[in-house]
Amino acid sequence: MNTAVAAKQAPTRKRYDAGVLKYREMGYWQPDYQPQDTDVIALFRITPQDGVEPEEAAAAVAGESSTATWTVVWTDRLTACDKYRAKAYRVDPVPNTGPGTRTEQQYFAYIAYELDLFEEGSIANLTASIIGNVFGFKPLKALRLEDMRIPVAYVKTFQGPATGIVVERERLDKFGRPLLGATTKPKLGLSGRNYGRVVYEALRGGLDFVKDDENINSQPFMHWRDRFLFCMEAVNKASAATGEVKGHYLNVTAATMEDMYERAEFAKELGSVIIMIDLVIGYTAIQSMAKWARRNDMILHLHRAGHGTYTRQKNHGIAFRVIAKWMRLAGVDHIHAGTVVGKLEGDPNVIAGIYDTLREPVTRASLMHGVFFDQDWAGLRKVMPVASGGIHAGQMHQLLHYLGEDVVLQFGGGTIGHPHGIAQGAQANRVALEAIVQARNEGVDIWNEGPQILERAARWCSPLRAALDTWRDVTFNYTSTDTVDFVPTPTEAV
Amino acid sequence: MIAALDNIERKDVDLEGLFSESHVGEVIEQLDRELVGLAPVKQRVREIAAFLLVSRARAQLGIESEMPSMHMCFTGNPGTGKTTVAARMADILQRLGCIRKNTLVTVTRDDLVGQYIGHTAPKTREVLKRAMGGVLFIDEAYYLYRPENERDYGQESIEILLQAMENNRNDLVVILAGYKDRMDTFFRANAGIRSRIAHHIEFPDFTQDELLQIAELMVAGMHYRFDDESRKTMRRYIEHRIQQPNFANARSIRNALDRARLRQANRLFARAMNGERTSSEALTLIDAEDLLPSRVFQNATT
Amino acid sequence: MRITQGTFSFLPDLTDDQIRAQINYALNQGWAISLEYTDDPHPRNTYWEMWGLPMFDVRDAAGVMYELYACRKMHPNEYIRVNAFDATRGFETVRLSFLVNRPKEEPEFRLVRSEGPGRSIRYSLQTVFPGERGLS
Repeated sequence: MNTAVAAKQAPTRKRYDAGVLKYREMGYWQPDYQPQDTDVIALFRITPQDGVEPEEAAAAVAGESSTATWTVVWTDRLTACDKYRAKAYRVDPVPNTGPGTRTEQQYFAYIAYELDLFEEGSIANLTASIIGNVFGFKPLKALRLEDMRIPVAYVKTFQGPATGIVVERERLDKFGRPLLGATTKPKLGLSGRNYGRVVYEALRGGLDFVKDDENINSQPFMHWRDRFLFCMEAVNKASAATGEVKGHYLNVTAATMEDMYERAEFAKELGSVIIMIDLVIGYTAIQSMAKWARRNDMILHLHRAGHGTYTRQKNHGIAFRVIAKWMRLAGVDHIHAGTVVGKLEGDPNVIAGIYDTLREPVTRASLMHGVFFDQDWAGLRKVMPVASGGIHAGQMHQLLHYLGEDVVLQFGGGTIGHPHGIAQGAQANRVALEAIVQARNEGVDIWNEGPQILERAARWCSPLRAALDTWRDVTFNYTSTDTVDFVPTPTEAV
Repeated sequence: MIAALDNIERKDVDLEGLFSESHVGEVIEQLDRELVGLAPVKQRVREIAAFLLVSRARAQLGIESEMPSMHMCFTGNPGTGKTTVAARMADILQRLGCIRKNTLVTVTRDDLVGQYIGHTAPKTREVLKRAMGGVLFIDEAYYLYRPENERDYGQESIEILLQAMENNRNDLVVILAGYKDRMDTFFRANAGIRSRIAHHIEFPDFTQDELLQIAELMVAGMHYRFDDESRKTMRRYIEHRIQQPNFANARSIRNALDRARLRQANRLFARAMNGERTSSEALTLIDAEDLLPSRVFQNATT
Repeated sequence: MRITQGTFSFLPDLTDDQIRAQINYALNQGWAISLEYTDDPHPRNTYWEMWGLPMFDVRDAAGVMYELYACRKMHPNEYIRVNAFDATRGFETVRLSFLVNRPKEEPEFRLVRSEGPGRSIRYSLQTVFPGERGLS
């Protein structure tokens, strides 16, 4: 620490006198600090209580998420506390907040954390520090973790995706187009035998994957072994009928790790290429399953069940791009990451930032996409984003335009709800997808000519004809709540 | 054919528009500007461009359905600009829609013919594959054919080339190049190839004045210059050189200038060692002294 | 049966012009094209026979088509696929792969089930070639 900065702190004698001191005076506010390459950097959106200065609020966040407590403790002096203290080094007002807007004043606070504050390869430890206590802290009205920069030195302590996009495609022998999936519907109530029928029809018809829903575990109407056995019969029969590798995400989410391992082992024994877990099982369980998946040549699909409770509101919680970052470190292969055009939350710019976070070897900072830092992934594999919820064949050109090629497009209702049957619904989706990819590669402007391309294909593919007619006018045009702040026409923060 | 002609819509075509749209004029102008002499060659290039332009207009009106075969043969002595013109030709053919890529793949016998049984076909195919979409330039093409050796693999290569010239007319233009007399012999023995060549272009030797002009251009291109004295010496050098064996037109001039640059450097260096200062003037001048030590003058009878 | 491997197998078989367009797309991305053929399209049969090396120096689809015609002539009754390989860091893998030839009569797959304890089943797929049908 340089002397100019030290001078702004209370002199040593006074600093450690018993009592309460402002956080900024305890050394948690250091505007001259130059972040090190090995620092973890967090960017918080803070809404201070009335009368709390933004620098003090930022210092308080730095303090509460690292070494501080509410009062001065002499035991600090037994440590190299200057090193362990997190440093708030920059506070910027958030555009379009404060006086004259409908939103009270918010700030972006940049905080740097010394690498030694964290245990290697542990999302649990990383998050216990960064979001452990501080979100309930009284001097703040609201707090949101917007983005993080994980230093390469720390990235390298994580396994990363068990399989990754490249190897997943090589195992499936499927290249050059998005993968297609569907979630079995109805979500609840089907017996194992009926459930497997849906899986077989959808895979035979042209999908690559079918999926359990997040709350399909082992309920009275269908216990897990039954589901696994009937689903794998469906998968293998569909594979024989098409010559393709097929899969069903068998959800192994359960009450205990022992149960999850047991279910995963059974999936492996039956020859499944992929298993599934829910975000609600917790970061440690996710990392355990990622290691199991790497050891057992299994693709690991993560359903982000529960994230909406803390990712959706702009002023409080955690931005999903941070969860995406943690999940790439933790080692999942698939993660639901938004559709832009479907029924669930998804601003195009925010989604672009999340997809970049999952798929790029180095994710570049892009304020327009809500990405604040360059993130070097240091060779960690790429996570396949999954787009799911209220999408159908008629949107295929928009989906390819927004989401690109390395993505799983999941048409649940858009397959199973097809008027001619499930296999026909699957075929409609596959034909629509291949026709759009073919046209894009031929240099056709799919954004503008997509509908005509689909109409042309529908002339020889009657299931596609029926799909286009059924869902022609279905769109979900609601304003997103999680939007970016830096856009050509900024959206108002709420 | 006559019936077909009757069916053609009576309307005008905008040849001039096609011409300016293709920007082929720019390439021809560049050719005129950058290449000294070669008047008959330039004339033939213009004819070919005009021919293609008209073919295109006819195709637009539906009179012609297929682009004409464009394989060529460039004959002439070494150093007469065959490779340079071939590169420009690729540009022109691409602009007029005869080939898709403005690329020139230059090969000789060694690139096409193998040394063992089964080696030649893959080699020739590899070359054809690379050249597809553009121009394949085969220098000294007659070496492909060696009548003195019955088991020569060149014949195998010729047959594959012949097939490609016939079947891939829309994908490939082949230019064969070499000495006039030897090409003639080659064609006598390979009537199949001969019949597929649509355009023969002869490259005449350069005159002495043209060679001096070429020397001036080359020297300027290398950022050197002659003075009156050295220019005279260069002219004398040319007079002598063309009498002597292995004269290779522009290439001989380039070699002579390369050697003169070496001598110039030596000369300047030796003087500097004697404590003389080197001016920037001196650095750019090719002196008569730099040309005179040439063997050309020593071997000269005069 | 019609095997549905490859990027475009749900579309009608691509015409040569359509194949050329896809190859040009791949070449414009800077990918290297290769051709592979096989008589056994079993989904775990990863290594089809290579028709020569990947064409790293070919710049126009005509060069690939030239090889494809030759390959079809030699293997008219087998599967042939075009692969486009991307050597960029982060990929270093196939980016596009589609069928450009099928046998007149395609093989099928027999699903073999070996039952184990606890209702578990081990599955395997066996290729059944046209001449072998009805023999089992």
